[in-house]
Amino acid sequence: MGVLLVVFAAGIAGLVYSSFERGASLYLDLLRDAGIRAVLIRTIVISAVTTLICAVLGYPLALFLARSRNRNLWLVLVISPWLVSIVVRTFGWMVLLGSRGVVNATLQAIGAVGPPLRILFTPTAVVLGLVHIFLPFMVIAILSSLLQMDKRLEEASQILGGSRWQTFRCVTLPLSVPGLMGGCSLVLLMATGSIVTPLLLGGLRDRMLGTQIYSEIFQVFNFQRASAMAVILLFVALLMVAPLRFAEGRIRKRLGAT
Amino acid sequence: MKTSPTVRIVAAALLIFLPAPLLIVIGASFSPGSILSFPPPGLSLRWYRTVLGEDDWIIAFATSAGIGVVAAVVTTLIALGAALALERAPPRIRSSAELLILAPLLFPHAALGIAFLSCLVTLRLNGSMLGVFISHLVLCAPFAYRPIALSLNQIDRSISEAAMILGASSRQAVTSVLIPMLRPGLSAALMFSFIISFDEVTVTMFLVGPEFTTLPVKIYSHLADSADPVVAAISTILIVMTSGIILILDRVVGLGIFVDIEEDARG
Repeated sequence: MGVLLVVFAAGIAGLVYSSFERGASLYLDLLRDAGIRAVLIRTIVISAVTTLICAVLGYPLALFLARSRNRNLWLVLVISPWLVSIVVRTFGWMVLLGSRGVVNATLQAIGAVGPPLRILFTPTAVVLGLVHIFLPFMVIAILSSLLQMDKRLEEASQILGGSRWQTFRCVTLPLSVPGLMGGCSLVLLMATGSIVTPLLLGGLRDRMLGTQIYSEIFQVFNFQRASAMAVILLFVALLMVAPLRFAEGRIRKRLGAT
Repeated sequence: MKTSPTVRIVAAALLIFLPAPLLIVIGASFSPGSILSFPPPGLSLRWYRTVLGEDDWIIAFATSAGIGVVAAVVTTLIALGAALALERAPPRIRSSAELLILAPLLFPHAALGIAFLSCLVTLRLNGSMLGVFISHLVLCAPFAYRPIALSLNQIDRSISEAAMILGASSRQAVTSVLIPMLRPGLSAALMFSFIISFDEVTVTMFLVGPEFTTLPVKIYSHLADSADPVVAAISTILIVMTSGIILILDRVVGLGIFVDIEEDARG
């Protein structure tokens, strides 16, 4: 039975390899296309910003969960959106951010803006949606790292006169870096490959690589171009994640050794 | 150690932020109007009647549920086989095989969608339910394998050896000793695989054909053309259903399994 799985996994690897063999001209054409370059850069920027926001917001939440007494209760709140379809969650954001949505209605009611703000169908909306979808993954990755940590180290730091901030900066944060890195690489990978959220929240002008691939297949029916883009996407994603993975491995080894 | 006020404020804000869109969807589903809005101008069950009255939605739901259940059972069986086979394999073979099983996690889903599509076109299975099913097996595999391998790690293997010494056949040792002991891992694997398969949209939207579609893909394509509260109603039904699954998951294995699994994956 294990063989079956290995065959499938090898099939994927083989496919990626074979799409490289279709000749480099397709790739050169794609990379020369200014529109595609813009999409590529947008994909990288949106995924990087999403990952950064997830890390900055996810860390305090994970810290709170790690120290909370009724952790399981909060954990349910954190993972509850995770188990509901991405489509449904994205849809929730469409309702919230639309020109007649809650956010605009509130802003208009307090007189902050005159005509409704255009939030839906902008990169901001895409980042917001992606952060919402991927935050639970980040929180759980950091949380498991925090839970593995020896609590006595923090106590020792405080007893030795370290302030709360010093303890965090010199003890807690360095010890949880593997979880943080793991979470970042997971979110980065998922963000670069997302299709549904950018399609629904981003509109037609602000395409990402995933949405570009989708429309290349279903609107233009250009399979070769789409698979070349998929390989580029794969390459970009791995290139972005590789340094994180490498750093994670190094730090893990160092933590294990001491 | 006490948490600082800043951490508490950020955590509280996020604990409101995370479930917020779900509450909006639930609220909007009771709207009587044909344009989606929140807060709803009134209360009505009109859109629930529409959902339950239209065969298309019921069929899409049944398709997704069917693929999900079968994919969960088959993936769990395959993962159990793989975990048992790899347990005694030499470390080098074991770690490279595990890398292959976990590989679907390492690829962006948009790229996987294309990869499966071209695989299935070669096999002439594109647009068929079997094609979607096969790709769901691959996508669920890592989520089924990890909890099973984790439980297998935790149990005492000398118990099944004892069973064999006491005269059990190796088949009996597996079915009446090993499998009952692996129950937490197996049920987590079943639940995860079902949820992943039932929910999968990014890869599946490349693979559905004109004759059938899965529920998430149908919701997506409905949303792309119109934004009436039908989607809110069906989403609410799904939210209620998944909450039920979370409750069962908590009862059977405890939610700690989520954290344990992350540790295992990176450990």
